[in-house]
Amino acid sequence: MLSKEEISLFINVVKKVSTYDFSDYSERSFARRIDKILSDNKMEMSALITKVKSNPEFLERVVKDITVNTTELFRDPATWQALRFRVLNKFENQSVINIWHAGCSTGQEVYSMLILLNEMGLFEKANVFATDLNSDVLSIAKKGEYKYRFNIDYLDNFDKVINENPFNYEDQVSVAYSKYFQIDQTRDLLKMNDFLVNKPLFRKQDLINDGNIFYTKFDLILCRNVLIYFNHELQTRIFEMFHQNLFAKGYLVLGAHESMLGPVASKYVRKGLFYVKK
Amino acid sequence: MSYKAVIIGGSAGSFQVITKILANIPAGFDIPIFLCLHRLKHVRTGFEEALSIKSTLPIIEPYDKQHIRPGKIYLAPANYHMYMELGNTFALSTEPPVNHSRPSIDLSFFSAAYTYKNKLVGIILSGANKDGALGLKQVKLAGGTAIVQDPNECQVKTMPTAAMAATDVDYIFTTDQIISFLKKI
Ligand SMILES: C[S@@+](CC[C@H](N)C(=O)[O-])C[C@H]1O[C@@H](n2cnc3c(N)ncnc32)[C@H](O)[C@@H]1O
Repeated sequence: MLSKEEISLFINVVKKVSTYDFSDYSERSFARRIDKILSDNKMEMSALITKVKSNPEFLERVVKDITVNTTELFRDPATWQALRFRVLNKFENQSVINIWHAGCSTGQEVYSMLILLNEMGLFEKANVFATDLNSDVLSIAKKGEYKYRFNIDYLDNFDKVINENPFNYEDQVSVAYSKYFQIDQTRDLLKMNDFLVNKPLFRKQDLINDGNIFYTKFDLILCRNVLIYFNHELQTRIFEMFHQNLFAKGYLVLGAHESMLGPVASKYVRKGLFYVKK
Repeated sequence: MSYKAVIIGGSAGSFQVITKILANIPAGFDIPIFLCLHRLKHVRTGFEEALSIKSTLPIIEPYDKQHIRPGKIYLAPANYHMYMELGNTFALSTEPPVNHSRPSIDLSFFSAAYTYKNKLVGIILSGANKDGALGLKQVKLAGGTAIVQDPNECQVKTMPTAAMAATDVDYIFTTDQIISFLKKI
């Protein structure tokens, strides 16, 4: 197991040669990621540090491996059902709805949102912004093209969110997947339809250094399974930053097993899975 | 009491065993129990409730960074890996499944072994894969106590057998023996 000193040496080197700052990532989980990178690359810490200093592309790859990039279509269906029946419906009478996906990774969540908005008749009104630290995942997100087999389980989630109403079991529809994406089983591809792909604005952004890079505030910010990799102090800073960039009564959505702790929580009202700006 | 935590890993065929163990934990049991169980794909929710029905202690699916409290039973939430960290807190992660499993029993056991060292009891129950074998080995290497459910009693014995192949376990116990062991610690 790596020592604290080795880890902070690594963090300082990365800080010096790039804009990335991992000082306030969760210490143990960061150490586990580095351990994994070292063993996957069969490398010692000293070699990793040397290579990170001299090779910017390698550094980008390491950053991608440090961060966890997993995501799914309609991950945690209950959250999406609640978004549908308890949150997005509140914005129906607005002329514009601004949504920010912070830490969107390869974009499945962004497309989940667009599909949901379209089913609710809110697609045209919505401005959808999506950001991530990592440009590789963003280029996948912009294409909206995924491995089908990898996403096959999530078709169930699609049905739960789009075709069923948990508050009224008789209210069932059967929207075909092809309305939103095409499945090519032989090439193992799931490709989002163009009208979805062309809608969102994907941008590279570092939550730690950059803050809000769009010239607007938001009705809804989704930042799911991103802040679990940060320590408490950094989480608090980000919660403050989100607070400043939400409209009054705007919603913040975290991952299914995340919560807001400490004094910053008093700036929000917790409503079930959601945090509403006071 | 010398132990500070118990961690239990189980998969196919372990649900009844867990339920029976939880129904027999003495009131006043004052260390935490961590459960890392594989769930069927369609049983992602409702699992906590199902386990809670007969349990003598409250069952909690922890949040990231939640504090670990004595006398509580913590169940790894569906679709997350669960780590027990120094400083008595949980860390959850969405890292990819390990050996097709998320939660991964190995990852939970690794972190518990690192945090609790020789004050940990690790138990591997019935299951149809090898998850937990390396984890239990790590428990043992860190000085903790390694237990497997007796393969003869298991509905599916692959998991305890793999754990026994990976490490010299301290005890091979039936469900009832596991219960009496836990009652005594
Ligand atoms: C596990 S993914 C979450 C994806 C999606 N929100 C979900 O829950 O399915 C975490 C993402 O956070 C991004 N991330 C990590 N640190 C970041 C930072 N400082 N600024 C912006 N994004 C960051 C990673 O690149 C990664 O794509």
